[in-house]
Order: sequence, then C-alpha cells, then structure tokens
Amino acid sequence: MRASKNIYLFLVPGFILYSIFFLYPTVSAFFYSFTDWDGISSEFDFVGVDNYIRAATNDSIFAQAVGNNLSFMLFVVIFQTIFSLIFAIILIKNTKFNIFLRALFFFPTILSSVSVAFIWSFIYDPSMGLLNTFLGISGLEALQQNWLGNQNIAIYSLAFTQVWFHTGQMLIIFVAGLHAIPNDLYEVAKIEGASKWQTFKKITWPLLAPSATIVVAYTTIQSFKAFDLIFATTRGGPNHSTEIIATYIYEVAFRSYNFGYASSISVIFMVIIAIITYLQFKVLRSDKVSY
Amino acid sequence: MKKSLFLSFGTAISMTILLSACAGDQGGGDASGSNDDTNNSGGNAEASEDQTQISFIHWRGEDTEVFDEIIEEFESENPDIAVEMNVYPSEQYQSNAQQMLRDGSVGDVFTSFPGSQFEVIRDAGFFADLTDEEFVSNFNAEAIEIGQADGQQLAVPYQLVFNMPVYNVDMFEELGIEPPQSWDEFIEMGATLQENDIQPIAFPGGDIGPNQFMNSMMMNNAPDEDIFAKLESGEESLTNDWWVSTLEDFQTLLDEGMISEDSLGIQQDSAIASVAQEEAAMLATGSYHMASLKEQNSELNLDFLPPITVSEDEAQYEGIHTATFMLAVNENSEKQEEAKQFIEYLSQPEVASKYANETGQHLTIEDVEYTSEELQDTAYWLTDKETRFQPRFFITNSSVENAVLSSIEQVLGGDSPQDAAEQAQQVVEENIE
Repeated sequence: MRASKNIYLFLVPGFILYSIFFLYPTVSAFFYSFTDWDGISSEFDFVGVDNYIRAATNDSIFAQAVGNNLSFMLFVVIFQTIFSLIFAIILIKNTKFNIFLRALFFFPTILSSVSVAFIWSFIYDPSMGLLNTFLGISGLEALQQNWLGNQNIAIYSLAFTQVWFHTGQMLIIFVAGLHAIPNDLYEVAKIEGASKWQTFKKITWPLLAPSATIVVAYTTIQSFKAFDLIFATTRGGPNHSTEIIATYIYEVAFRSYNFGYASSISVIFMVIIAIITYLQFKVLRSDKVSY
Repeated sequence: MKKSLFLSFGTAISMTILLSACAGDQGGGDASGSNDDTNNSGGNAEASEDQTQISFIHWRGEDTEVFDEIIEEFESENPDIAVEMNVYPSEQYQSNAQQMLRDGSVGDVFTSFPGSQFEVIRDAGFFADLTDEEFVSNFNAEAIEIGQADGQQLAVPYQLVFNMPVYNVDMFEELGIEPPQSWDEFIEMGATLQENDIQPIAFPGGDIGPNQFMNSMMMNNAPDEDIFAKLESGEESLTNDWWVSTLEDFQTLLDEGMISEDSLGIQQDSAIASVAQEEAAMLATGSYHMASLKEQNSELNLDFLPPITVSEDEAQYEGIHTATFMLAVNENSEKQEEAKQFIEYLSQPEVASKYANETGQHLTIEDVEYTSEELQDTAYWLTDKETRFQPRFFITNSSVENAVLSSIEQVLGGDSPQDAAEQAQQVVEENIE
C-alpha cells in the first residue's frame, strides 16, 4: 500500500517540467491577457476583458490573420493529407527503391524552416526564380506569377511550401498505418473480385482512420504554428496577405510591445486550435479498428 | 522493494536536475548571444581576473571584422577592460534587445534604432544619461539630436545613412540623362531608360523597399516634420492629401513601368543584383548598399537620386538621411564607467575613420577622414544638400508604421490610393489612444 503511494513520486519530475515549460507560461498568458503590460516595465494595469473586446471588434488585422490562417490550414490539410496518402499507397512495399524514395520525401522535414524559406524564396522569385524560369522554358508563360508578391495568391504559395515541407513526415505515418492492416483482408477482397477502388474504399480507408486522424490533427496544429516559415519568407506581407495568427502575435508582442494584448490573442488562438482539433476528432475518430 | 523505489526516484530527480541544468545553459546561451543566429566575439572574450568584462551588443553583422580589430586595439590601450561583442540579426535585435537589457547583465554598451525602439527603451528607463560626458562633443551636434529626450543625451548615433535611391552615374551620362529636379523630369527620365531597355528602379518590395523608398517619396509631399506625430495624435489622417498624393505617386511609378509589376515579390539581394548587372538604373534602398553594389561590379560609379515628387520650385528637400546605430550605456549596468570608456574610444576621429572606411559608412563623428572612393564621392551630401531626417523614424507606434507601409504595398498590388489610404487610416485609428 505504501509502495503504491510512493509510486506517485515518479510523476513529480515530469510534473515539474510540465509545470515550468507549459502550465506556468499558459497560466501567465491567461493572466497577462487581462492587463496592459508592455512586456518590459514592472508595472501594468488590469484592463478586464478590454483586450478580448478589442480583438473581437476593433482589430481588422487580427480578423484578416484569422481568415488567412483558415485558408492556409484548409489548403495544407487537404493537400498534405491527399499527397501523403497517395505516396504512401504507391510506396507501401518495402523494396529498396521505395525505402529510398520514402527517405527522399522525408528529407525536407529535417531541414530548418529558415532553410526552407530561403530555398522557396529563390524558387518563387518573380524575375529570376526557378519556377517562373521553368514555366517560361516550358512555354507556359501564361502561368507565370508573382508568387509571393501577389496578395491574392501569396498565402497559397506559402501553403504549398508547407505541404512540400511536411508531406514526407505524414507519409511515414500513413505507411505505418497501411502496414498494420492485415494482408488477409486484401486476399479475401481479391478472391471476392473487388476492384482496386472498392478495396481502398471498403478496407484501406476505414482501417487507416486512426492514422488519418493523427495526420489531420497534427497537420492542423502545424498549419496554425507555421510561424517560422512565414516569418522568414514574407513576414506576413504584402499588405498582411500572409499574416497568420502566430506572426501577428509576434508583431503585437515584440514590435508593438503590447504583451497584454498579444496574450489575449494567444488565448484566443489556443481556443481556436482546441475547437478545430476537437471537431476533427469527433468527425474522424476511429480509435478502434473493427473488421 | 522500498529501497529500490527510492533509488529509482533519486535517479529520476538527478536526471531532471541534469536536464534542467542543460536547459539552463541553453537559455543562458540565448541571452549571451551564443546561439546559432548570433555572432559572439571580441578582442578578448574571456576576461582575466583583474579585468572588467563589458558586453557590447548590436545588429551590424557585416561590421564584425572591423569591430574585432577596434576592440583588440581598445583592449591593448585599456588592459583592465575586456569587451565581449554579441551581434544579433537586426530583426531579432529590434524585438529582443529590450528584454536583454532588463537585468543589466548583457549590453553594458548597446545600440538602438531611432524611432519606436528608442522610445520603448526610453520608457523602460534603460538609457544612462550621457549628457555630461566629454565624448559627446566628438559627435556632430545636429546629428545626435535624435538621441536626446527630456533634455538629456540618452544615446549617440554613430552612423549617418542616406536612405534614398542610389543610381548608376555612368549609365545616365551615356544616355545623356540629367538627374531630374522635378516630378515631370523624373517620369521623363524613366521613359528614356525604358526606351533603352533599362528598368528605371529596382524596388525590393518583398522586404525593405517600402520602408526605405517611402521617405524620399514623401519628403516634399509632407515637408512638416511633425506629420507622423500629428497622425499618431489624431490631428492628421492618411486620407489627407499629403499621403494620398504620395500613394498616387507610387501608382504613377507603377503605371509608367518605372517600378516593375513584380516588385512586391522582389527581395533586396535580387534588386541589388539587377543594378549591379546594369539591368536597372536605380536601387530604391540607400547608401548602406553601395558597398555591396561595388563588390558585385567594381566599375559602377554611384551617387544618390531621390525622387523630387513636386515641381522644382516647390521642392524643399533634396534627400533623406538617418543618424542611426545609436550607442548607449545600459542604466542597469554595474560597469557604466567602463562602458563609457569604450564609447569614448569609438568616438575618437582616428578610430571612427577606420570604422567608416572599412564599412563604407558616413559617421556622425567630427573630423572623420573618408578615404574610400564612394564615401568621398558622396560626402557632398553631408554639407551641400538639404536633407531631412528619415520621416519613418518619427512613427513611434509600430502598428501605425505597418499601416503606412501596408498602404504602399496595397497600391503596388493594384488597389487605388484612396482605398489604400482609407484602410490604412482605419488601422491607425484602431491603434492610437
């Protein structure tokens, strides 16, 4: 009985780390969101829910950042999930060539965001960039764009970069999920004369649901936190067209020195992510595989 | 059982402490600038027991080499002081310097940008008063006014930068183009250049273009130096003529093809390359890029060509200057005397001359001898030309600054000047008291 009490002591180190690195900052952010703290001075005043009212009613840039973030997230979640699933299905067999390709697709994931930003800034450069040059050589001049300078498409250009950046990572999760599906089911389907589409629809996709849930949830959170890539590429410009919530929080906290307001946006940010992730789990949830 | 349980628990705690200690080291690394993004150097980074080590923080990575030499010379003249220099990327410096200065352990000598960063540091009380220091008289009295507040000299700007377009003088001479003195002449100049397949202005709209070019574009449209102070106090509006006409001038440059349609996607390196390769005639940034241009094309003969956006007789200003890289002593430092000694050393004309010529910068120090060709060629802007201090640095609220810059991007993105001005004004109103 005493031993079972002592066993809780093992939780203490983890709890201490969790408290220092997660709990304390979260509670602090919540606390400061009700203040006008500038992040430097030792003094601040409580302003009640003014910061939240301002975010909801009197901050057009924040509203724009939320909209941009949702567009970015939708693009990334849809295309990253589809691409990684297709590649996983193609590369499912453990041949040497497939393993090499999987490693190749995974490679961007190990790069730093700043390196990725630098590479893609060069690719997207309108005058001497790789993409427009390639389109020009291919006779597709009509498709040449100002990829990061056009306010209407810049956020999608960055979303595509994000997809390129992380598809390999999601591919690995899907490959693991596919390998977990018993081969017997495919053999039965083959004997029964099921087409490839029917096999995918009735066997692969339902049994991949747990992996898909992880991929979609992780991609969503990643999309909301794509601060480093966007900051190093466009810094939210032009004209805030690539501003997402994370870059705006940085702007408010570290350029405008309004930590109180930035904290309130952070709390709203946290709530948005929590709601979206919860809804995704509700829709996609399938933690029990049934045959 | 009980013994092994406690042994395991003890091991877990020890591991936790060890990991925390590692994390602590990393955190310290950030503060002292030893992370990957910072450059940590100095003549004698490790101080001996009889030395006082001072920390010098700034954002000019390109000056590290010359500062290393200067620090080494300073340390040999002052053997009881060691200087540890930490260089941060300018963006990181602008956001994090205030935090680093807080406890006084870093940044005994630090630098500040004019404008919003200066205001924030001043409000936080991190500037030591330099008013009575003898070295202040080594600086040009007019140039260092920007470092004054409440009757005190809080910082002394070291560099004098010209934030206005740089142009290819030989190209103009070959094409028989005289530097324009009015807006009509400026547009005419653009047409001549385009007839010769030359892009008139290389404009890095993807990064610093708007915040640099706006200064010379508005200098004569809004000659009132308090215009942004009035904007922030609600007395002025971006929908008034001074800003709408500035945006209209940007639109004219775009419509006339003087600025490329793709300019919002162009970064400064790309713009520099196009001027260095003589595909473009002007670089819409400033004097700090002259060295890079010469490095890429040593044949270039460069000077400044700010746009005069009014008629010749209406023009009040001929260009833009900024006194920046403001040297200051941390009020929270316990080594203020040593820190002041270092600034005193930097302000000596022979030391400043070395810095100026090796970095290609004009300085605010009196009696500096400029030996480099590009500095000599442009030195007449210091004495013979009517330049005004960069208006952007009079915007103290960064959200307002962003609104102003965004309206330029909006116009270059195809929106009307009036709409862009109205939207920017809305953001201004959301952000002023």
